[in-house]
Order: sequence, then C-alpha cells, then structure tokens
Amino acid sequence: MRGLAVLGTSSDITLDDPTRRAPLVLGEHDTTSVTDTVCGVVERPKPPRAWYVAFAISSTLATSFLVLQGYLFGVGVGVWGLQNPVGWAFDIINFVFWVGIGHAGTLISAILFLFRQKWRTGINRAAEAMTIFAVICALIYPGIHLGRWWMPFYLLPYPNAMQVWPNFRSPLLWDVFAVGTYFTVSLLFWYMGMVPDLASLRDRATTKVRKIAYGIAALGWRGSHRHWHRYERAYLILAALATPLVLSVHSVVSFDFAVSILPGWHSTIFPPYFVAGAIFSGFAMVATLLIPAREWFGLKDFITLRHLENMCKIILATGSMVGYAYGVEFFIAWYSGNAIEQFTFLNRALGPYAWAYWIMVVCNVVVPQAFWLKRVRTNVWMIWILCAFVNVGMWFERFVIIVTSLANDFLPSSWGYFTPTWVDLCMLAGSFGIFLSLFLLFCRFLPMVAMAEVKSVMPHAPGYHGADEEHALGDVRKAAGESQESEIERTNAGNGRAPSGLLAEFESPADLIRAAEQVRQAGYRHWDAHTPYPVHGLGRAMAVKDTALGWIVLAGGIVGCFSGLVLQWWTNAVDYPVVISGKPFWSLPANIPITFELTVLFSAIAAFVGMFVLNGLPKLHHWVFEAEHFQRVTSDRYFISIESSDPKFDLAESRALLASTNSVRNEIVWEPEESSVSGPGSGNHS
Amino acid sequence: MGAPEGLEERRALDGGGSVLSSPAMWVGVTLLGGGGAAAIFGNGGSQRFLQSYLLAFTFFLSLALGALFFVLISHLTRSGWSVTLRRLAEDLASTLWLAALLFVPIVLGIDELYEWAREDVVAHDAVLQGKAAYLNTNFFIIRWIFYFAVWVSLAEYFSRLSGKQDETGDPELTLRMERASAPGMLLFAVTITFASFDLLMSLDAHWFSTIFGVYFFSGSTVSFFALLAVVVLFMQRIGFVRHSVTVEHLHDVGKLTFAFVVFWAYIAFSQYMLIWYGNLPEETGWYERRQEGDWTWASLGLLAGHFLIPFLFLMSRHVKRRRGMLAAGATWVLLMHVLDLYWIIMPQKQFDTAGRIPLHGFDVLCLAGFALLFIAAAKQTMGRRSLIPERDPRLAEAMAFENEG
Repeated sequence: MRGLAVLGTSSDITLDDPTRRAPLVLGEHDTTSVTDTVCGVVERPKPPRAWYVAFAISSTLATSFLVLQGYLFGVGVGVWGLQNPVGWAFDIINFVFWVGIGHAGTLISAILFLFRQKWRTGINRAAEAMTIFAVICALIYPGIHLGRWWMPFYLLPYPNAMQVWPNFRSPLLWDVFAVGTYFTVSLLFWYMGMVPDLASLRDRATTKVRKIAYGIAALGWRGSHRHWHRYERAYLILAALATPLVLSVHSVVSFDFAVSILPGWHSTIFPPYFVAGAIFSGFAMVATLLIPAREWFGLKDFITLRHLENMCKIILATGSMVGYAYGVEFFIAWYSGNAIEQFTFLNRALGPYAWAYWIMVVCNVVVPQAFWLKRVRTNVWMIWILCAFVNVGMWFERFVIIVTSLANDFLPSSWGYFTPTWVDLCMLAGSFGIFLSLFLLFCRFLPMVAMAEVKSVMPHAPGYHGADEEHALGDVRKAAGESQESEIERTNAGNGRAPSGLLAEFESPADLIRAAEQVRQAGYRHWDAHTPYPVHGLGRAMAVKDTALGWIVLAGGIVGCFSGLVLQWWTNAVDYPVVISGKPFWSLPANIPITFELTVLFSAIAAFVGMFVLNGLPKLHHWVFEAEHFQRVTSDRYFISIESSDPKFDLAESRALLASTNSVRNEIVWEPEESSVSGPGSGNHS
Repeated sequence: MGAPEGLEERRALDGGGSVLSSPAMWVGVTLLGGGGAAAIFGNGGSQRFLQSYLLAFTFFLSLALGALFFVLISHLTRSGWSVTLRRLAEDLASTLWLAALLFVPIVLGIDELYEWAREDVVAHDAVLQGKAAYLNTNFFIIRWIFYFAVWVSLAEYFSRLSGKQDETGDPELTLRMERASAPGMLLFAVTITFASFDLLMSLDAHWFSTIFGVYFFSGSTVSFFALLAVVVLFMQRIGFVRHSVTVEHLHDVGKLTFAFVVFWAYIAFSQYMLIWYGNLPEETGWYERRQEGDWTWASLGLLAGHFLIPFLFLMSRHVKRRRGMLAAGATWVLLMHVLDLYWIIMPQKQFDTAGRIPLHGFDVLCLAGFALLFIAAAKQTMGRRSLIPERDPRLAEAMAFENEG
C-alpha cells in the first residue's frame, strides 16, 4: 500500500501504520513548550479578533435569553407555543438536547480514560468544560418549566407545602438527582484535573490579580509525588464512577418518557438508545467547538487532524447505534401487533410531522455515512459542516419523540399540531448564546488543554529536549557543579535563619528516579519528589505506600447507597404514604435510580475531598515555594526536597548527598523572616 | 504471581488433525444422539429434550458470538494489549460452523418449541396471524442461513488473514482486517439482534421488547470474557502461552468481565423497570411467569448471582490478578449465563412450566454433549497454527503492556 511506503517521510499523521503508534502531539514539543503554548493562550494580552466577534454574538444571544425570561415570567407561559395536547414542548426538548450534548465530555474524560485511549489527553479538558456548560444550559429549562424559578428548592427532598415529600417514584425527581449528580461529579472531575494546570498558570503569573486568583484556585499544588499518587488514584476512581453515571443520566432522562405508556415513548430500548444519541450529538458539538478553537489559539499540535478523525469515527459508530435503534423500534412497532404502536410510527414517518422525522433521519443516519470516507474525515471544513447537521438532527430527534407522540396520542379527539412561537425559537438560540459565551470565557481564562496529562503521554527519554537546549542544559549542569559552593554561600546570606530544607533540581525523570533511590536508601523520611506530571517508576523508587483512598470511597458509597434507600423508604412508605400509579408505597425498582445516583455522588465527593485532605491540601504556603527556581516544577523541571524536620537531616551531610546526585542545581531554603511570610504566588521568584 | 518462572512456554497444540478423529467429538455426538433417541422413542415426547437442546445450543452460540465480537472490536479499535488473546478468540469464533450444523435439530423440532410454527395455534390467534409474515418456518430458515453465512464468513475471514500474517508478517493484513471490522460490526449487530428475536424472544410470540437484542448481546459478551479467562488459565496450566499472556492481560480480561457484568445489569434493569412501571398486560406477562412459584427464586438468583455477587467479587484488583480467584469468578459468571438463558427459555406457556422449575437430566446431558463437541472443534481450530498471532505488528506492544492502575 502506498500509505505505508511514504509514512516515514510524510507529515500526515492520519495514515495508519500498524507497526507503530502515531504521535499524540505534533511538532517539536517538549514539556517546556507544552506549558508555553497552552498557558500562552491564557497569558496573551488580547485574544484573536475572531474571539471578540464570537463573544459579541454569543453574549448578545445570552442577554436576549435573560430578557426573554423576564418577558416569559412577566406575561406568562402563553408566550410559548405550549398547548393541549403538547404540554411538553421546547423546554423539555432543549433540556434533553443539552443534557445529551454534555455526554461526550464525560465519555472522553472517563470512558476513554478507562479504555486507555491516550489521544483523549488533547481534547478532554475542553470537552469536559463543554459538558459543564451544556448541563448548565439544560438545568435552566426545567427550572423555567417549573414556572417559579425562584423556588428551585421545591425540587429538593424536603417536605414542602403541607408536609408532602416529593414523589420518589417519579422519573422527574430521578432527573433532579441524576442531572444534579452528573453536574456535581463532572465539576469535581474537571476541577480536580485542572488543579495541576492552574498551578502552572500560578507559577507563570505576572500580575497580582492572576497570582492571587490562580494561586487560590491551584490550592497550593506543588507537584509532590505523594500527591500525584493519590491524585492518580482519585482520577481513576472518578473515571470509574463517571462511567456508569454518564450511562445512567441519559437513561434516567429516557425514563421520563419510557415509563409512561404513551406509544413511541414506552420502549425498552430507550435507555441505551438515548445514551448512544447523547454521545453522538456531544461529539458533534465537541468537533464544532474545537475545530475553530484549535485554529484561533494555535493548538493544532495538540488537537491534531488525527483527533478529529477519531472523533468522526466515534460519531459514525454512535450514529449507527442511533440508526439501529430507529430500525429496531420501527420493526418492533410492527411486530408487536399493537395497532396504536403501529400507527404512531407510521404517523411519525408519514403524518403531519413527517418533515421533522425525515430531517432527523437524514441528519442522523444518512449524513454521517459520509464519514466512511477518509477524505471526509480528514477535511476540517467537511467535518465542521457534517457535525452541524448532526447537531440539528439530534435536536430534531428530541422534537420528533416528544411532539409527535403527544400531538397524536390515544384520543383522536384531542389531537393537535404544535407550532413554536418566536419566543420558543429565540430562547433556543439564546441557550446557544449562554453555552458559547461560557465556552469562550473558558478558552480565555483557563487552560484549554490538560498540560500535565499531555506531558505524561509524550516521549520523555532523558535528554529528549531539542539539540540546542540539550547543549545549554549541559552547560548549566557543569556550571552548577562548579559553582555549587558559591551558590550555597550566596543563599547562605540569609544569615542566622534556620534552614527549612534542601532542594535539588533535575532535568529529566530518569535522573530524578535515580536520585530518589539514593535519598530513600540514605534513610530519609521527610522528603519528597516534585514533578510537572505523574512520573511512573518514582513511586517504587520512593517506596510510596499505597493510598487508602479506595476505602474512603467505598465508605462514601455505602453511606450514599443506604441514605438513598432509607430516605425513599421513610418518606414515601412511612412518613407520608401516597398511592401513585398503583405502585407499592415502598417499590424498590423505582428507588434504584436515586439510590444509584446518591451512591455515585457520595463516592465521588469522598474521592475528591479524600484526595485533597490526605494530601494536606489546600495549603497555599509551603517552604518549597520559597526556593528560587521551584516555579518550574509545574512546567518542565523535577525536584527533590528534604525537610529540615527529618530526623536524619544534617545541613552538610544532606547537602553532600544531593550534590552526589545528577542534579543541575541545589539550593538551601531558609526559613523566612517573621515579617516576610509569602504565598505561593508571591514567593521570592527573581 | 503470574506464570511460574523458568517454565517453557508452548504456543502450538500438537497435531490438531481432523475433528472426526477426536474422541470428545464422538462422545458428544453419542450423548446428544442418545438423548434425542431416548426422547423420541421414550414416552415423554421430544419437547423436553428440545428445550434442553435449545438451552445448550444458545449457550454455546452466544459464547462463539462473544468471541467474534471480541475479534471485531479489537480490530475496530486498533487494540494493542489484546493481541496475545486475539488468536484464542479467533479460534473460539471459528467454532461457529459447528453451531450451524447443530442448528438442524432445532429446525426439525420447530413446532415443538415455537407456537408460531404450529398452524393449529396460529389459526386461532389473531396476533400471531399478524406476525406471520415474519414468524413463519420458511422465512425463519432463510434468516438463519443468512445469519450463519455472515457469522461463519466473518470468523473465517479474520481467522484466515490473521493466520496468513503468521507466515508473511505483512502489516498490510492488519490494515485490511481493521477496514473490514467496521462493516463486519454492523453486520454482527443486525444479525445478533434478529437472531435473538428469532431464537429466544419468539418463544413467547406475543411478547416483544426493543432492547432484547442488546440484552442477548450483553449476556453473550460477559460470558465470553469469562470463558476467555477460563480458557487462558486452563491453557497456561497445561503449559501453553505461559509468558505471552501475562497477569496484566488476565487483569484486563477480569476488568472487562466486571464491566460487562455491570452492563448486563444495566440492560436487564432497563428492560425490567420499564415493563414493570408501564404495567401493560401484554408486556408484564413475560415477567409474571418468571415471578410465580419457584421461578421467583430463579429471578432473585439471577439478580444476586448474575450481578451482585460477581460485581462485589470482581471489583477488587487483588481478585483479578490471582489465578485461582479469577478462575472461580469467571466460572461463576459462566454458570450464571446458563441460569440466565434457562430463565429466558424455560418458563413458556407451551412448555407448561407454570410455577415450577422443570429441571431435567436432559439439561445436563445436552450441556455436556455440546461442551464436548465445542471443545473438540475448538481444539481442532487451535491446532491449525500458533496460539499467538506470531507476527502481528503489535505483538511486542501487547507483551510489554502493563496496567497502571
């Protein structure tokens, strides 16, 4: 095959060569340039002009959304097109649409993580951000739909008017728990993943505001290997929790429809079918956002054409699952022999809403077939346009499911035809405004690419740096070795103060691991290694004990599970029993969704809080921040710190130990004078 | 843990040879043939035998289909870690030709198993008359010829190309298999869905559930991963693939078993919950038959045995990395898959099993007979070449692979 022959010289990384893995990052990048490029997006004084144009449009739409909300509440729900029989219309369609969009972010951050799809590191941060913004858009709609958005606490499980508890057997309440848990866990996952990168921004900050803002947000992260160890475990646990969670969220959303007996809604395939559709639309949205973003912010080396091609393949796969569900539903509608089922499906395809049905089929099933062609999958314009079709198609899928089933239900005398008003349409556009505004702000102020994760999937042979830099580093090392004495003399100028500890700087993980072995063998206990990303093999060298985080999470999960069960049992079966749809007061199947959601919620909070508490974070100040060069730990350098509190600590002996390693720079950090206590953002960086 | 150090690893079965020379084959044929003859000439009638036969057939068919799925998904995702396991899956999927042969008795006994195949029943049943365009014996046979044509050719295609790569080492073959895997997966999804409708769902020809194809798929997949663990552990015990399949691979097979246990539970719960909540008589009857009398215990047993127990047991990393424990967990999952299929197949109106579990010697006999036949067939396919895709371009990656978490 031609492709294989030219691979060696070609720069097209979408070519497949089974004998090697394609690089995940293009260009001549090393850890330094990854930090520079990604932080550079946030640090540049002004975003590109396209950003201003996009933000002007999206914030205008977002504002119009708020104004229209005022109009809606002022005049009443009649400004919408809701009517009988279509009492659920745009608000629920938009809710389901936006929740679905969010799913791609969790798929990328959690499921692809569990499946070791390392290419996800380039896109997971932006996709997770998109998840959070999409869920925010989704949550607005049921809030409005309640009619009194200033009383959202009516959704919470407490006995409101007349001591009545919410009905835990209602799928609408399951939604509250499912989407609420989803939002919380996604936020925790996103924020936790961002902490090391926020620390990078903190260490590079040049203005006071940035130092304080990123300094607080980074929680005093200092790249400690003991921290990384628990961080990685927490990441794995959160991924393992988010995976069933993301399946559950759209499943629960599908229950809103499928537990009823309305033809076209009551179908057992709804849960997996909704999940597949959610991921399908979510990936289309990720591509829609990232194609311009990688262009505007110069991130093409991290979000490569191969990333886009992979996303196209996932869109094709999930689109096929959606097509499968359409087909099976149609077949079973016929096979069931149920006249009303048969009518509903024929009515969708041929009835008054046939136009919407065929838009859905064309956009979701026919159009994505173009992704079979590699030429299409590697053409960013084509991808962007086809993904726009998918977004439209998936919005119409919700329209078709919701409106057609309600408009023509069991009673022909109550049939109607729903037409949206201008307010419906403008509020839909407005929700896009909110979504895009939030995303653009994210691009401007937060690291769009997970730097620490990208660094951990790059080749890091010692001396991986470019040739010139290698040369320069060699010089530094030599100079450092020669001038060690004088440097110590210089830092000794702190006269009379006690040392906080010693710090040795390394330029490669291999040097660091060797040095860590030496320090451990020397018998030190109060010491640590600091790295820009988790370095594997270091844990063994340092003899780090396995974390107990898993047990904390298990305890959290058990508490969540039992509180879910007890809450539902006590409220609906004991405190205020109400008969609903002929179900027993305590009906276990109906309690499973909320029990599951609370189990995941408590476990995830336990993982998040447990990780930071075990790490002793947040701790905004630490003696290592006083060191002169330590800020590079969040970019491209590796450090070993020995605390003066260590029983074996002896200034001369410990210094000699560190000097015998392959370090490029050694430093004594002195305790600060009483008056000059400073935070991580304002250490004495020169 | 892992394989004992210093032991030689063997990667090829001796001989292989014709499946007809295998004693297991002949014992299996004798068991099934003897059972069938006893049923036909005995006074109980052949229906009870056919029920057991259908159970055993479905069990082994689902395992072979699970193997085919694993081959397809490995290529589709350009999987590296699974290369050392893929040949075993190819060989297990290659037993599908045997399933095609063993399907014949089901066709012969079709009116004993399926009410829609009995003209006297259909004549008085308006619902079945409505479905007759799909549920009729001729179309049923045509469909199954199509399913087996698809499955056997997919299994043969991937097995043949992979075998060819052992000789030539050509990486282009990997690309060809990757390209074929995508349309292959589509064909697989459609065929396994309709096969499950035909084989299992239409046992109760009035009942319908759109998720049923996914349910059957989830059971097939989880039991295949369990089977893979059992097969690998057994082969290593008798001296094969001791080094090329490491504890890391077993750990991953354990993880996949665990994941699909959860997936099965998710699909099973979705189906149950929606039917329970909707409470329409045309749907709930199916579950009602499985909740009356002794069947209550089978249903609860499925909940505990097919979900809670393996979920808690296989959650631990420790368990998945210990040979004995993994073998126990995997065997348990396989047994629960038998229970799942038993629970689907047996409680039917036409089998007159209201409220009692009709355990019968035929169940054991048929499962044992099928097991022997499939072992003989698998041994033959495994004997054709090395148990490892020797020159797969990603073999080195698979051997070096280590779990991080």
